[in-house]
Amino acid sequence: MAELWNLIILNPMLNGLIALSSVFEGSFGLAIIALTVIVRLILLPLTLKQLKSTKSLQGMQPKIQELQKKYGKNQKKLQQEMMKLYKEAGVNPLGCIWPMLVQFPVWIALYQSIMRALATTPESLLDLFRHLYSWEVVAQALPLDSHFLWLNLGSPDSTLILAIIVGGSMWVQQKMVTAPSADPRQKSMNSMMLLMMPFMFGLFTLMFPSGLSLFWAVSNVIGIGIQYWITGWGYLRRGASTELVTKVGGKGGITKRP
Amino acid sequence: MKQVKILFLIAFSLLGLVLASCVPGGTQPAQGWSGITLNDGILYLGSMEGKIMAVNPSARSQNLSFPADGEWEYPITAPSGGGLSCSQTSTSVAIYGTPAVDGDLVFTGGYNGKVYALNTSARSQNLDFPQMRDNEWFYPKTNEVIGAIVGSPVVSEDAIYVTSSNGKVYSLDKHFGDKKWESDVLAKKLWSTPYIEGNKVYISTFDGHLYALSAEDGSITWSFATESGIGFVSSPAVCEGTIFEGSFDDNLYAVKIGESEPLWNFTSGNCFWAAPVVSNSTVYAGCLDGKLYAIDADNGTELWSFDVGSPIVVSPLLVDDLLVVVSDKGMVYLLKTDAVEDNRLLKELSIGVSVQASPCVLDGMVYVRGQDNCLYALDIERGVVIWKFPLTTH
Repeated sequence: MAELWNLIILNPMLNGLIALSSVFEGSFGLAIIALTVIVRLILLPLTLKQLKSTKSLQGMQPKIQELQKKYGKNQKKLQQEMMKLYKEAGVNPLGCIWPMLVQFPVWIALYQSIMRALATTPESLLDLFRHLYSWEVVAQALPLDSHFLWLNLGSPDSTLILAIIVGGSMWVQQKMVTAPSADPRQKSMNSMMLLMMPFMFGLFTLMFPSGLSLFWAVSNVIGIGIQYWITGWGYLRRGASTELVTKVGGKGGITKRP
Repeated sequence: MKQVKILFLIAFSLLGLVLASCVPGGTQPAQGWSGITLNDGILYLGSMEGKIMAVNPSARSQNLSFPADGEWEYPITAPSGGGLSCSQTSTSVAIYGTPAVDGDLVFTGGYNGKVYALNTSARSQNLDFPQMRDNEWFYPKTNEVIGAIVGSPVVSEDAIYVTSSNGKVYSLDKHFGDKKWESDVLAKKLWSTPYIEGNKVYISTFDGHLYALSAEDGSITWSFATESGIGFVSSPAVCEGTIFEGSFDDNLYAVKIGESEPLWNFTSGNCFWAAPVVSNSTVYAGCLDGKLYAIDADNGTELWSFDVGSPIVVSPLLVDDLLVVVSDKGMVYLLKTDAVEDNRLLKELSIGVSVQASPCVLDGMVYVRGQDNCLYALDIERGVVIWKFPLTTH
């Protein structure tokens, strides 16, 4: 199984990454950025499908809430009505999950490629040879230069800059898709998730090689771009406006901004 | 609620992705693959726990408790901590190079970027390190470090030569550890073992250069660069004015010292990771493609090859007309260099664990350190493992 994984997914991506490094005159940082862009472009149809499914599901929330109010006590009927609603709207409720699951092997391979290509220890360099093609462009790039901007891509970023970029971009990306909720329980859950993920990845950035963090940062920025293309700033702007208006409404009696 | 579930799914999947660094596929930790040196009947090697050990084969064959006569161990440690860790502790240091022994002194370089000189007498008595009166020292003498040391230290006359991951070569006084000279930065990092011949220090670099440095002051007296910029991966072997060197492009190069063009290159199926061995105009080179090649040193033509079926990571050992070849899968072969193909293999033996450290031979016995952190004594001619000694804490 591992050999099949290496043969079909990991080795092509790893050698492609190293060859890209050669194209960028030995800059492994630029190679990571380029490969992240290429992979995101290849996965764009799946990403779009996922975003559209999410958007459709969010658009149906008022109708779903109506059904929940109406058939809240009869779960069987509720399920039937919801399936009917999905069918009428032509939406697959799992439509936003499958594209995401399909993308995971690619992200894992990209992650493994970056870690292997960096070959920070002698053992890693020796292991790298098991995965290399006999391409001159690959041989020319080795060993990779791990320095990019202020970063040593094989070590964690000792400054907080990359952690802030990774955490911040992840927060923006999540904020754009997280719909504000009237349900207090849901609202607190959303707030927690909105902070937890960026914090967690910010922490990972301080612990893992910065080559990997660079990949996260670039991937987040591209994700924001794609999201903006589909929905604009989404709930990043609307969410902020809603919160603002709700605060004003509390004092002045205005309940919601039209 | 569905959205929360999706976010949880993303969180745990990405967490899994991050944790993938802990399983094969991520960066492998530095564990070391120190080879074995023989001096005065004692084997010196580094363990995977970062200890320099002196092992008496005679005591091991009698299964005496460790340490027996002439035996000792000394842990090389470095302070660790910082980052997200609150406390500072000591961790063991990976040792890659084969220790160099000169009289009572054992020299080694650590992956922590320090060079050590240990006195066998002081270590046998387990005295505090360093015992200055016994010529023990470490370099740099302050808390500073030079870059991680991967290549083996080499002793020549009064000096010890080491390469460092900071791209420099250092010459140190072997008695006191004072720096005689340090070279210019020759590459972004140097992991190869220097080769000393006459008053020259020969170095190969990952960025495709060969250098001859003056052993007196470290100045560059000759350099060679590959046209394509393809780097050299193995340590150099020098014989009769020619350097033999494996590169990243699956070639073994022969370069006449003083020339700017290679004499020849020999292409294989993968890299020549280990330094070749040269004798009687024949180059014996183990390759990661799983073959041991015998190549004509004059013109680079293949004389014969022997397929061991798994990568060869360590240099072969040449004893008279016999060649000991160890494969990454732990197979040990005894080959007769001057035999015809059908009679070339004399014996083979498996220890069943990966071998990435240089073995050594004494009195017909082959000593091999496996990646299971054990030392093996093999009677290769009889095809049996005589003893196995765990290098774990005693």
